[in-house]
Amino acid sequence: MSNAVETRPPKTPPELTQQPAPGAPDNWRRFFSFSTDHKVIGIQYIVTAFVFFLFGGLLAMVMRGELITPEADLVDRTVYNGLFTMHGTIMLFMWTFPMLNGLANYIVPLQIGARDMAFPRLNAAAFWMVPVFGVILITSFFIPGGPSQSGWWAYPPVSLQNPTGNLINGQALWLVAVALSGVSSIMGAVNIVTTIFRMRAPGMGWFRMPAFCWTVLSAQLIQLIGLPALTAGAVMLLLDLTVGTSFFDPARGGDPVLYQHFFWFYSHPAVYVIVLPIFGVFSEIFPVYSRKPLFGYKVVVVSSLLITLFSLVVWVHHMFASGTPGWMRMLFMFSTMAISIPTGIKVFAWVATVWGGKIRLTSAMLFALGGLTTFLFAGITGIMLASTPFDIHVNNTYFVVGHFHYVINGAVVMGFYAAIYHWFPKMTGRMYYEGLGKLHFALTFIGINLIFLPMHPLGLMGMPRRVASYDPEFAFYNVIASLGGFLLGVSTLPFILNMLSSWVRGEEAGDNPWRAIGLEWLVSSPPPHENFEEIPIVVSPPYGYGSDEPLVSNEPAGHPVGNPEGKVGQGAIA
Amino acid sequence: MSTTKVDPTLNAKVVPVSTHLEEAEEDNRMFGFIVFLLSESVIFLSFFVGYIVYKTNATDWLPAGFEGLEVREPFINTIVLVSSSFVIYFAERFLQKENLWGFRIFWLLTMAMGSFFLYGQAVEWMGLPFGFKDGVFGGTFYLLTGFHGLHVLTGVLLQGIMLGRSFIPNNYAEGEYGVAATSLFWHFVDVIWIVLFLLIYVWR
Amino acid sequence: MTNQTGNQEQRTRDLKRVFNWRRVLGLSVLTAANLAISYWMGQQAYGWLPPQASSESVLVDKLFSFMTAVGTFIFIGVTGTLLYSMIYQRAAKYDPTDGPPIEGNTKLEIIWTAVPIMLIIWIGTVSFQTYDQMSLLEPFAPAVMKTAGTLPGDQKVAVPGDLEPTEREMPIEVRSRQWSWEFYYPEADVSSTELHIPVDKRARFKLTSEDVIHGFYVPAFRVKQDIIPGREINFSFTPIREGRYRLRDSQYSGTYFASNQTNVVVESEDNYQKWLANAAQTPLSPAENVASESFDKAAEGSISLGWATVRPAPAPMVNYTSSEKDTYE
Ligand code: HEA
Ligand code: HEA
Ligand code: CUA
Ligand SMILES: [Cu+2]
Repeated sequence: MSNAVETRPPKTPPELTQQPAPGAPDNWRRFFSFSTDHKVIGIQYIVTAFVFFLFGGLLAMVMRGELITPEADLVDRTVYNGLFTMHGTIMLFMWTFPMLNGLANYIVPLQIGARDMAFPRLNAAAFWMVPVFGVILITSFFIPGGPSQSGWWAYPPVSLQNPTGNLINGQALWLVAVALSGVSSIMGAVNIVTTIFRMRAPGMGWFRMPAFCWTVLSAQLIQLIGLPALTAGAVMLLLDLTVGTSFFDPARGGDPVLYQHFFWFYSHPAVYVIVLPIFGVFSEIFPVYSRKPLFGYKVVVVSSLLITLFSLVVWVHHMFASGTPGWMRMLFMFSTMAISIPTGIKVFAWVATVWGGKIRLTSAMLFALGGLTTFLFAGITGIMLASTPFDIHVNNTYFVVGHFHYVINGAVVMGFYAAIYHWFPKMTGRMYYEGLGKLHFALTFIGINLIFLPMHPLGLMGMPRRVASYDPEFAFYNVIASLGGFLLGVSTLPFILNMLSSWVRGEEAGDNPWRAIGLEWLVSSPPPHENFEEIPIVVSPPYGYGSDEPLVSNEPAGHPVGNPEGKVGQGAIA
Repeated sequence: MSTTKVDPTLNAKVVPVSTHLEEAEEDNRMFGFIVFLLSESVIFLSFFVGYIVYKTNATDWLPAGFEGLEVREPFINTIVLVSSSFVIYFAERFLQKENLWGFRIFWLLTMAMGSFFLYGQAVEWMGLPFGFKDGVFGGTFYLLTGFHGLHVLTGVLLQGIMLGRSFIPNNYAEGEYGVAATSLFWHFVDVIWIVLFLLIYVWR
Repeated sequence: MTNQTGNQEQRTRDLKRVFNWRRVLGLSVLTAANLAISYWMGQQAYGWLPPQASSESVLVDKLFSFMTAVGTFIFIGVTGTLLYSMIYQRAAKYDPTDGPPIEGNTKLEIIWTAVPIMLIIWIGTVSFQTYDQMSLLEPFAPAVMKTAGTLPGDQKVAVPGDLEPTEREMPIEVRSRQWSWEFYYPEADVSSTELHIPVDKRARFKLTSEDVIHGFYVPAFRVKQDIIPGREINFSFTPIREGRYRLRDSQYSGTYFASNQTNVVVESEDNYQKWLANAAQTPLSPAENVASESFDKAAEGSISLGWATVRPAPAPMVNYTSSEKDTYE
């Protein structure tokens, strides 16, 4: 441990830290109850989402097993099709969205100095829908005809074909699950937006709010605008599938391309719903471990809103090769490329934040830096995809699969890991094992590049995605990718080990082991019920590293604040 | 100690902080509800866009042998629904003046008008020569009117609950979130109907 | 402890450091090196793509090479800076102090907003020109229409490789199904499961689908178009290299999607005419078809551990059939 144990503030009495709510169960059992404490709900979300991640990853492992040889030999073609459909669906709707809601739930109220979310009961209800639709989705593996096999886009007419003819079929269950997920997300979004607008601590003007809250706000606004469009499309598809309307059935006058517009009008912005909070995580982590203020804070946070705006007008870039007229292709090519401007502002600001700092390569920092580089790579291939003539060649090939796994698995999943390592001491009151964290990082980073980099040459050569078998010329890169995939699967093991053992018997963390600036670091770890004994009054912008301004003007928690920035070295130093 | 002066200009911008969670929740409910309604309007917007796309692109839009929708009865229906928005406004005013009976009467009148609208809608549906399986016209017609009708029904049910709660002594003494929200919802349903009416019945 | 003025001094000092001559020189050398590597990567990029078998592929590859070079430059620039920080700017083990409290720099921020703007205008313009020259479909007219009477691409005179832009033949009808391809040549009344087209001549197609959305994709030509059931889509490109290539279904179309592939043969005008005449003499017969054969095998109950599937359309009756298997070009 460190050199300055004496300076640590007196410990908050256990009644305050252990009890999530007066009268609630005070141990692990609270995580299985209908708790309305945002911190309990946050952890419920995170753990549930991670379990689904393992499940979705397991499906990916079977897929990589199939793809290690050119023939369709490991599983039947129908099974392979079901696997990638469910893999994509689970990863997006049951891993990334719940995971983000978990982080937002845990961190936003603490960062803005609120006692809880605006609507605690609504919050709990939104969470408990996740296991419900998760079970519905997974049940579809066991019904006659199997799960949906139309890809995560569920494009009609394939999604309308229903070979078993049953009313309860995989596609119908899929639609119900996605609809419930949408309802849950809307509930969450209303809650988070209200919380951020109405419950900030006194003195916390918009430009004193941490970047993470800004990105969460921008992301949730997208949910509110975009999700209803997907819901509309899903309702129409479900009606076509079950009661026999003909909205999307070309044989009866319907228009399958209209579905694509509904779908992508939401599902494109959805990728920014996913990535924006990760941008927030980066903006939190780089200052702490470089010990410098976030460079260009105001521009960085405002660019989140710009990304929100732009993201609503680029969806046709997923349909360049569909039945879209030429003018539409060109228009959306330019709008898509414009996204790189606000995004570039952020990237450069992070580089400038790190530049000249006093850098500590903790697990959180490593994951953030790794995530930033994979994001950069993916952003560049994204701009290539935005260029219509080139996209026409690689659309629906492995180049696209490579692009989005670099963001979604590279930047986003690594960003999640960064966030978990960074806030783990706050959530549990304990430190994780740094060595295991670094091993986890190395395996993940190597694994990701080994599996997803070879997908780019594959796509350039013309290998389509969603195939169970392929021409032998593609075998070489597929073998590398599969091996990398298995490595990536193994990389989760040190993480799981680390989390479980640290939570049970890790070193005590103290309130502010990273000497970070932010309201969440002023309260004890884990924070007491209702977070703040007295609501803090914020008097300066966030990230005041290196300058001596205090962050708040009163004592927020159950102990003296002597030193809001935690200037004196305490806790772990990497 | 770091307890420095608080910037005096801050207090103007300060968001009200309630000390108790329950109180905070009361304050925030209306805000949350408005956010929700804005979001929900996008569903309708999407259906409208779908309708417009179908209508402008379809080769044979109306089902064979069908000349077009009757406008007269739906127009009467529209008048009733739109006026009910004014009626509910007066109900709210009465509540503000703490005239409970005035509130109840106008509130009940709103409910009656909403129910009349639903009845008119049901009668129209019965008389139509096409079903929801008859091409995209049939599909979108029933989808739009049905989805909107569901909202009217929800509105009437909510109004029923609010009416019932007005009999709990002192329940509405300090104004009531439920009443305000229900009436906002009612205005929302109205505005949607006007757009819907223009699109489906007026636009040829 | 630094105070307000201290910060100010620090900031001016930082600015001075930026304009230090040695720095400028060092930076220029690094930039030049980055430029050289990026240019080299751009040249490498051609090698990652299949052979250039159409005039479109020449255009697309040039565009890709250009974007690879720009992308490499950005990637190396950013990650290089990060790596430098990670290696040389680490905090000492027990050093609890903070870095310089630099909160921003307006000049720098303007530069790094303006540079990407210029870059994307550049990339966008090059892409637009490329697309315009390809003229697969008309760029500024809704070319995909239910009643397409005109052939998009006709008015364009400067299509590279389009040697006889005035010559107009009836388009080849591409009929896609779950899961087979059929090509119908109206002027010879020939149908085939292998696509034959003459080299150096604009090839025109009418794409149709009988069931779900399929995708017409030939990697060697860099062209792709979704085929929407219920519509006729006019599509064209110019093959410039003789040989045998793969045509793949690119829009996921259900169970046997992966096997929905066939071959394209680009040959000289003479050979093409010979092939056409030959095929016209051959009577119709069922084609080889992976989907329907495997489906029948599974239906016989020998081995199927899969779930229910849509019944494939029967193998098409054609004058000319070829193996659907890859021929190792
Ligand atoms: C979190 C997820 C995420 C993110 C952030 C992005 C970001 C981007 N994506 Fe990606 N994308 C996906 C997830 C994501 N994508 C998914 C899941 C799919 C496929 C779905 C499916 O088909 O199943 C997809 C598919 C996809 C396509 C469709 C391809 C096809 O199907 O044919 C396109 C096309 O334009 C595209 C483009 C972009 C662009 C331009 C960005 C930009 O936002 C990137 C911007 C970032 C940078 C450019 C880097 C930083 C900028 C600078 C350093 C400034 C200087 C740079 C320049 C001037 C270039 N993406
Ligand atoms: C957040 C989103 C996300 C994430 C994290 C991932 C993660 C991974 N993805 Fe996925 N992927 C998608 C979203 C995502 N993917 C989407 C949207 C599609 C498109 C679907 C479509 O086309 O419709 C797709 C498609 C897709 C394909 C293309 C399929 C095709 O087109 O034919 C492939 C192929 O390799 C792939 C692989 C992987 C791998 C190896 C991982 C790895 O990260 C997985 C790592 C592995 C694990 C985490 C498993 C660890 C488990 C164990 C060690 C076992 C122990 C556990 C238990 C017993 C429970 N994915
Ligand atoms: Cu084994 Cu594909
Ligand atoms: Cu997109």
